[in-house]
Amino acid sequence: MSDITLITRDGAKLSLAASPQETVLEAAEAAGLFLPAMCHEGSCGLCSAQIATGDYTMRGGPREPAADGSVPLCLCLPQSALTVNLPYPESGISHHRIPTRAATVTSITPAGSGAVTLSLTLQPDPEFGTAADFTPGQFMEVSIPGTEITRAYSLSNLPNWDGTLEFLIRLQPGGAFSTWLAQTAKPGDALTLRGPAGRFVLDEISPRPRCLVGGGCGFAPLLSMLRHLADFQNMQPTHLIFGANTEAELAVAAPLKALAAQLPNLTICYAVWHPQAAWHGFTGTAADALAQYLATATDLPDVYLCGPPRLVEAVTNVAQARGIPPARIYTEQVQLR
Amino acid sequence: MFCFQCEQTTRGPAGAGCATDKGVCGKDEATADLQDVLIHQLKGIGQYVSRLRTLGVADAAADTFILYGLFTTLTNVNFNRGRFVELISEAARLRDRLRTAFEAAAKAAGQVPEALSGPAAFVPADNITGLLAQANVASVIAGRDVVGEDVIGLRALLLYGLKGVAAYAHHAEVLGESRDEIAIGIAHALDVLASNPTDLGDMLEEALALGRLNFKVMETLDAANTGSFGTPSPHAVRTTPVEGKAILVSGHDFRDLHELLEATKGTGINVYTHGEMLPAHGYPKLREYSHLAGNYGGAWQNQQIEFAAFPGPIVMTSNCLIEPQPLYRNRIFTSGPVGWPGVRHVTNGDYAAVVQAAKALPGFTKTMEGPSLTVGFGRDAVLGAAGTVVEAVKSGAIRHFFLIGGCDGAAPGRNYFTEFAEQAPADTMILTLGCGKYRFNSHDFGTIGGLPRLLDIGQCNDTYSALVIATALAGAFNCGVNELPLSLVISWFEQKAAAVFLTLLALGVRNVRLGPTLPAFLTPAILDILVNQFGVLPITTAEADIKAALTPLAAE
Repeated sequence: MSDITLITRDGAKLSLAASPQETVLEAAEAAGLFLPAMCHEGSCGLCSAQIATGDYTMRGGPREPAADGSVPLCLCLPQSALTVNLPYPESGISHHRIPTRAATVTSITPAGSGAVTLSLTLQPDPEFGTAADFTPGQFMEVSIPGTEITRAYSLSNLPNWDGTLEFLIRLQPGGAFSTWLAQTAKPGDALTLRGPAGRFVLDEISPRPRCLVGGGCGFAPLLSMLRHLADFQNMQPTHLIFGANTEAELAVAAPLKALAAQLPNLTICYAVWHPQAAWHGFTGTAADALAQYLATATDLPDVYLCGPPRLVEAVTNVAQARGIPPARIYTEQVQLR
Repeated sequence: MFCFQCEQTTRGPAGAGCATDKGVCGKDEATADLQDVLIHQLKGIGQYVSRLRTLGVADAAADTFILYGLFTTLTNVNFNRGRFVELISEAARLRDRLRTAFEAAAKAAGQVPEALSGPAAFVPADNITGLLAQANVASVIAGRDVVGEDVIGLRALLLYGLKGVAAYAHHAEVLGESRDEIAIGIAHALDVLASNPTDLGDMLEEALALGRLNFKVMETLDAANTGSFGTPSPHAVRTTPVEGKAILVSGHDFRDLHELLEATKGTGINVYTHGEMLPAHGYPKLREYSHLAGNYGGAWQNQQIEFAAFPGPIVMTSNCLIEPQPLYRNRIFTSGPVGWPGVRHVTNGDYAAVVQAAKALPGFTKTMEGPSLTVGFGRDAVLGAAGTVVEAVKSGAIRHFFLIGGCDGAAPGRNYFTEFAEQAPADTMILTLGCGKYRFNSHDFGTIGGLPRLLDIGQCNDTYSALVIATALAGAFNCGVNELPLSLVISWFEQKAAAVFLTLLALGVRNVRLGPTLPAFLTPAILDILVNQFGVLPITTAEADIKAALTPLAAE
């Protein structure tokens, strides 16, 4: 058995033992520590962390660490004592398994620009009752009825006691869930969900301003976060950069009007990359808009970023170039499929 | 940040105190610094309130704000930075109003109004960055290089004792009991602190005066509790669930519990106490609510596990809150001085959201049977049996009393209190109060002369009751409290305990054993005074301390 020391972002040290045949993630779960993780096969990246000291191999064969030196803990087999730097605080570690919940479709309504708002109602559960309990920014895995296919979608509403879950989903032509949603789904249909999960959540302790960057369906978790900030009358300066290819994609941003009225310290930049001639707003990508915003920012913000991989990469580069440390750039990648 | 107000503060080779970006309690640097700024402003408010009182002018709103403001800065109470920004701007407006009132009152009295300096003249920045830059002026160690550790230590003892006094006074005030004498004493202590005192002897006198004031405060709190909810009497409290929807209430505030019991009357929702709420079951007017079902869990430091496992919402009414875990963050509510960013706060006694959460969450699915805990041995219950007790002492059936009380905490050294209680000989009686009791209250101590060997007096808030019992026993035996076969063994954690400690010193109660460690702000020189002049005893081991306590002539 090897001694594993997990060090969280806020400096908490958690110790456990692992055999060379079990992954760090399995050993942690055996010890009752449920680290953020989803796919358990090394692809989603949710469980990735840096191995600070020690030797390990990877289940399924050798594999290069990511650019930031992190490896998925779900494949990481310790061959000696390991010290692991977890990129989240201790509060991000659950001591319980991620729940599975049953729900029914309440409504599917167009949200503009090829997106729909999917509303579900959770069925009462012996352990959770009717509570829709999650942290704004988290996602749920939704299974397509009658199949093994699951997709993860961020929640766009607020936690509540009547079991309402709301997702903002951009329909992808040919996509499995999109096809089901567009062609088959109807109110009353039963669904199975797993969640909430994910660590893309607000650091509410941080005294710094916040900059939220996203676009398309990457807007869903940001919308939930903004609703939360409005609900709690948060007074910290918050800047939202909503990235779009054309003005038409701004349709999903409609709920922002009401939110802006409730959040006096919210400023919004709509960044349109390829606008029509009549566009008077910011022209360029979300990354361009962030560069412009940071150029004059006196107090560097925490950055919350959700979107497709290219957007995440470009925006991260801009934020880091301006001197925002990686630990203060919170990201969620959206896979379009 | 710099904070060394609680027992668990960092103690390293560089000295004691939490001085990084986060305290051991989870308080972040910005919140800690803003708390310092608020305290600084409260000193300024105290300067004006004190002078207004001299001119015969009372300001009830200022008195209330001082108590609430000080209470928010106790350990494990309010971690909500945004709340402190609001309180700081409220304090600035209050100070301006008091300044105008003071000038008017002085002129009306034919005096030239004194131009106050120090905290009274402090102008807080209008944004958080500016406020954080001002925090060093307001730090508890400001000026340490000039005045030295001992002065800083005694100022800290005064300030922290004052915080505890204010917290107790706030508990009494929300139940409708306040006294001019208390408001005047608290403003005076703030005024003293605002003057940056340096004379150790004077400060010690002020600390004792504060201890005497706290006796008055605790008497008032006792009157508030018994006046509102009746005289506590012994009652066996269930510790196991009853099938049905459930709400858990933690902290110390009986008014909040009472409001919640009213709000849930007839809903079928059961209410359970947690931590320091356990003694609520001793009060007739609280336990008459049949849906006050029992007590769930133990002392505050276990809350992250206990709250996560509780199948309903949780209300935290005062100290001691720990960072709410994601698992229950949406279903924990704060009230009164308590706060955490992103956690819902109950205002104006509106528990609708808590009730809604209780209805949505599953509650307990099965009734379980198990042991009970007996509470309610307040002063009346104990003194009602005084005849039996006195006879038992005279006949030798009771050899000694131990009052083992105070706060609990997670530190391993607190096993001392468990060992002390369990090793206390069978012919000794144990009185307890505070949440430290959870270290041993599930143990069966048996009885002496028909009385339980373990008598639970109540919360730490019920120190007055314990002092009345001690004084009455001394009367019955025609001796002083220090001559009684009684030893006090106090576990401290935060500032309420500091206030009680000052009261014990002020009343001349000697040989108080204090642990698990001594306050970090007590320097060797201050400790020397406490040991030599007041007979304070740092704890050693349970075995040795019991032995010493039972051989009075040798050790005491």
